Amino acid sequence: MPRVFITGLGLVTSIGNDAATVTRNLRDLRHGFEIYPPFQKPEIPVKVVGTIKGFTADSTDPEDWTFPAAYKIKRELLRTMAPNGLFAHCAMLQAVADAKLSEADISNPLTGLYAASAGSPYLLHHHNDRLNKVGVMRCSPLGIVASIAGTLNFNLIAAFKIQGSSCGFSSACASSAHALGFALDDLKLGRQKRMFVVGAEDGNVDAILPFAGMRTLSLQTDPNLASRPFDAGRDGFVGTGGSAVLVLETEEEVLRRGVTPYAEVLGWGQASDGWNVAISHPEGSGSAAAMTLALRASGVAPAEVDYVNAHATSTLIGDVSEARALRSVFKEAGRRPAVSSTKALTGHGLSLAGAMESAFCALAIRDGFTPGNAHLQHVDPECADLNIPRTTENTAPNIVIKNSSGFGGANVALVFKRVA
Amino acid sequence: MPDAVLSNQGTNKPNPTPPKPFTPEDETALREALKRCSPSTFEAAVQFRRTGNPEHVPAVVIGVIERFVEPDLRMKLKDADDDLRLIEDLGIDSLTMMEIVILVEDVLQMTINNDELRNLRTVGDVKTFIDCKIRGLPLPKPTKFIPIEHIGAVMPIQPPFLFLNEASVSSTAANGKYKITGQEFFLQGHFKDNPVMPASIMLEALGQLAVLYLLEGHIPEPGKAVNSSQIFFTGCEGVRAHRVCKPGDILTLSIKPKRNKMPLATFEGAIRVGQEKAVIAEEISLIFAYADAVNAPVPINPATSNTGVVNGAAEAPAASAPPLRVAINA
Repeated sequence: MPRVFITGLGLVTSIGNDAATVTRNLRDLRHGFEIYPPFQKPEIPVKVVGTIKGFTADSTDPEDWTFPAAYKIKRELLRTMAPNGLFAHCAMLQAVADAKLSEADISNPLTGLYAASAGSPYLLHHHNDRLNKVGVMRCSPLGIVASIAGTLNFNLIAAFKIQGSSCGFSSACASSAHALGFALDDLKLGRQKRMFVVGAEDGNVDAILPFAGMRTLSLQTDPNLASRPFDAGRDGFVGTGGSAVLVLETEEEVLRRGVTPYAEVLGWGQASDGWNVAISHPEGSGSAAAMTLALRASGVAPAEVDYVNAHATSTLIGDVSEARALRSVFKEAGRRPAVSSTKALTGHGLSLAGAMESAFCALAIRDGFTPGNAHLQHVDPECADLNIPRTTENTAPNIVIKNSSGFGGANVALVFKRVA
Repeated sequence: MPDAVLSNQGTNKPNPTPPKPFTPEDETALREALKRCSPSTFEAAVQFRRTGNPEHVPAVVIGVIERFVEPDLRMKLKDADDDLRLIEDLGIDSLTMMEIVILVEDVLQMTINNDELRNLRTVGDVKTFIDCKIRGLPLPKPTKFIPIEHIGAVMPIQPPFLFLNEASVSSTAANGKYKITGQEFFLQGHFKDNPVMPASIMLEALGQLAVLYLLEGHIPEPGKAVNSSQIFFTGCEGVRAHRVCKPGDILTLSIKPKRNKMPLATFEGAIRVGQEKAVIAEEISLIFAYADAVNAPVPINPATSNTGVVNGAAEAPAASAPPLRVAINA
């Protein structure tokens, strides 16, 4: 089976809108949180969000949106986008430039695109509201493609003239990790030679606040304390939006085009908890099984793993569950890989998380650092036996696991390797 | 199809009737709806909503179309004639057309049905259509694009004396194109070693376009059709030739009917080559006669065709035609 490499990245995140800025903030452990103006109401106890800077997409009319002048987007494309589509379109343009892809490289039957977002609850609400107010035949003709789950893939496939595989993935916070896993399969099976993997979320009121009812959002008002994965004082996750794009290519394409990859994607695995619709398995059984399967598919022993970019979102139950999963996978191997959750810096990107954090792993591998776990003051005793560095180490991990888990108890683990 | 949908078809009246008073809240909503249109579009819409005067409608419709056209194509709309084509000239796709329709509906407080939209191909079609809707008049025939095979089939004039390669006909105008090939038999002698299209032949080409209009665009008396063997040239006035036309030139012909009452039909006509004026005819007159209709023309909207068509058989295909599909991938 062909080897597969990451050859390009695009990032629009709370900690930076380009790879260089993101790398700097990952190294220096600088978060992207702000007091979010739309939350500053007495009836909303949640205050902090991982905000996207340099973009405004807080209108239901895309022609009101603003974005960095470097991106030129015609009205014809903008009119069918959700905010997450705007972020992703810009991240795609970055990834295309980063991977040095020509138009012919992008638009052919062997280049596909897998995407994940939750759609746009914000626009869906707006368009349905308008339908009820002004009448069925006068609702926006483009409301559906701008708002339903799938809006991200619809828009990107059309805008970038994708001709290969295309699909949207919907497993909540595991979605874009699933997208990456299945993209890898398409490449390994010879169905495609190049895949774009895209995660994106609106990261606004309608995308984040529905989690408040579940009591999974942090109520911290201090942006420096709001997201504290593995910390005893953690009180929930901080929401964020944005987009991340990874370009995956087969070795043949990498050699043909003469590009230098970030990292190799060795393999992946997935397993489900079979437990609860929204609560992680107390022993992390699904997550452990996903990691074990991913390592087996990659031909890597647990003892070889240097770094795990954890799913840990800073929720009470989730972080402990993942800690137990990690323990069960690595204990026997006598290995304590470095474990950190970069959600301490970005917040939880939901459908975006898997792709965004995989991109972080690619940056860490290429640029030679292992991100520390920010905001960790008192490690939760349940996680105390893990090797959780509080500061960034200037060593490149050789083998990296990226964990993602979503509602329904879906768990994905991806394995990356440094290119020798 | 549910009855509710059918019963809504062809209610070719302004909606709602009678017009509600125009409140300050309406004005605020109107300003919001038209915020990306020119100030004059908003003003025209306010005037229309206050007075119901259809004179303001074209400015609103053009203003709305302009808002949805890519900025670099808007110049075309500035000095557009009614023949400007929505798709080919302005780059408006079917989704954009829906955006235009919904904004027009919202601003003018009217309802446009899917099957009425299918035939709107030019700016003139849209203006005429909206105007008829507002006034509660029967809808005009849509612009029909007629390929060479069909021209040959319906015209009493045949090669080598037919000077139309393609044509489009609506109830208000006809346009055509003819490319001077250099193989025309009369160019051998007109002139010696210097082939020039005779002005009389160019006038003949305009006359032929007028004949095509009578056959394809003119709305005949009920139960009648224009008899193609009874159309003849009777006169012309105010003819001027401005440009020498030679092999390779593509003549763009246009005629507009002035008065059409059997037996006399009068038109104004013009020929351009690119942007250059070639021939102007202030008036071309034909005489024509009716015969009993064998196949009555298919109306744009069967439910509203109380003026022209009594032939029930002709309604069936139109009624069963599929509605406009925009989101074909849905």
